[in-house]
Amino acid sequence: MPHLDAAYNLARWMTRNEQDARDVVQEAALRAYRFLDGLRGEARPWFLALVRNACLSWLKANRPAELAGSDAAAPEPADPETPETLALRALDRRMLNEALAALPAHFREALILRELEDLAYKDIARITDAPIGTVMSRLARGRRLLAESLRAISRASAPKVHE
Amino acid sequence: MTRDERERGMSEAIRANADYHRAPSSLASEILAALPAEEPGAPRRRRFGPASRFWLAQGAAMAAVALVTWAVTVAWLRPGEDERHAQDVLAAHVRATLGRHLIDVASADQHTVKPWLSARLPYSPPVTDFSAEGYELAGGRLDQAGGRPVAVLVYRRRLHVIDAYVWPAHEPVGRVEFSRDGFQLVRFAANGWAWWLVSDLNRNELDDFERLVAQKN
Repeated sequence: MPHLDAAYNLARWMTRNEQDARDVVQEAALRAYRFLDGLRGEARPWFLALVRNACLSWLKANRPAELAGSDAAAPEPADPETPETLALRALDRRMLNEALAALPAHFREALILRELEDLAYKDIARITDAPIGTVMSRLARGRRLLAESLRAISRASAPKVHE
Repeated sequence: MTRDERERGMSEAIRANADYHRAPSSLASEILAALPAEEPGAPRRRRFGPASRFWLAQGAAMAAVALVTWAVTVAWLRPGEDERHAQDVLAAHVRATLGRHLIDVASADQHTVKPWLSARLPYSPPVTDFSAEGYELAGGRLDQAGGRPVAVLVYRRRLHVIDAYVWPAHEPVGRVEFSRDGFQLVRFAANGWAWWLVSDLNRNELDDFERLVAQKN
């Protein structure tokens, strides 16, 4: 059931723990069952939109702070003089996963849907209920934020790297 | 290094390194177990044949969920000519609502839908828009029921979809209705046409729609 994997992956990244991800997916599946007549077009984005909404409700109830930053309020990372390659070279899996998990919710969900589910911009727009332009800028900014935080981590762990 | 190149590099780094969390194997069964309870003793598991593999290949958790609805409905209908046909029609309806293939020709204009269907079928089905009565023609598609191609007119009533299967009634067709798990089905004949209507609409409204179809076509 690939859609179930996609659903769980999204929920797991948004809630950051297994049990809450299970609950969120289960709730979304029940809604899918009840509102089957609302299905338009392809099943995957439709179902993922239900999962995403369940994630959003969960975040509102449990971690409202992660939703606080609007697109405008999110910090614009400085254009770095050091190429990202430095950060990427020093990158390890664990660091990247931690940095990705720490991104504000809107950037995180866009990146998960794009990079891990390989969804089209229009599907991500539909799932996250945002215009395509917003999706694209969230993706771009999310990647820059991620690079920024990786740089910060690698600088902290290996201060000599840049010299 | 341009900004675009850096972004691409980051994109590749995420794709290569970020964890993909697969659903635990127990999750699917947990979800199925949590669905509204079905009639006990319905032999639905044994009915998951090749059709179930098709759905699972489609891969939707919700496909599995819908399959339960469908399998239970199918299990409920006892074998017999009408029932077999009802099974076909309902299966086709669920398949269409679930997949991307609800409508082949999207138009509220009967003069667009009718020629499209007649060009692809050995008959020219009656097509009427009932927008004025609250049943909007959304389009048509070709489907299969009873092992032959059949015209389906797709109507919308609020958020509900009505599939109207229509073909020439060469033999007498009696009126039969079924309803199960939220789906209403009715078969009837009018003016030389046999109809199967399938919807999740309530019975009263479907009856209402049936009268329109019978009178105005």
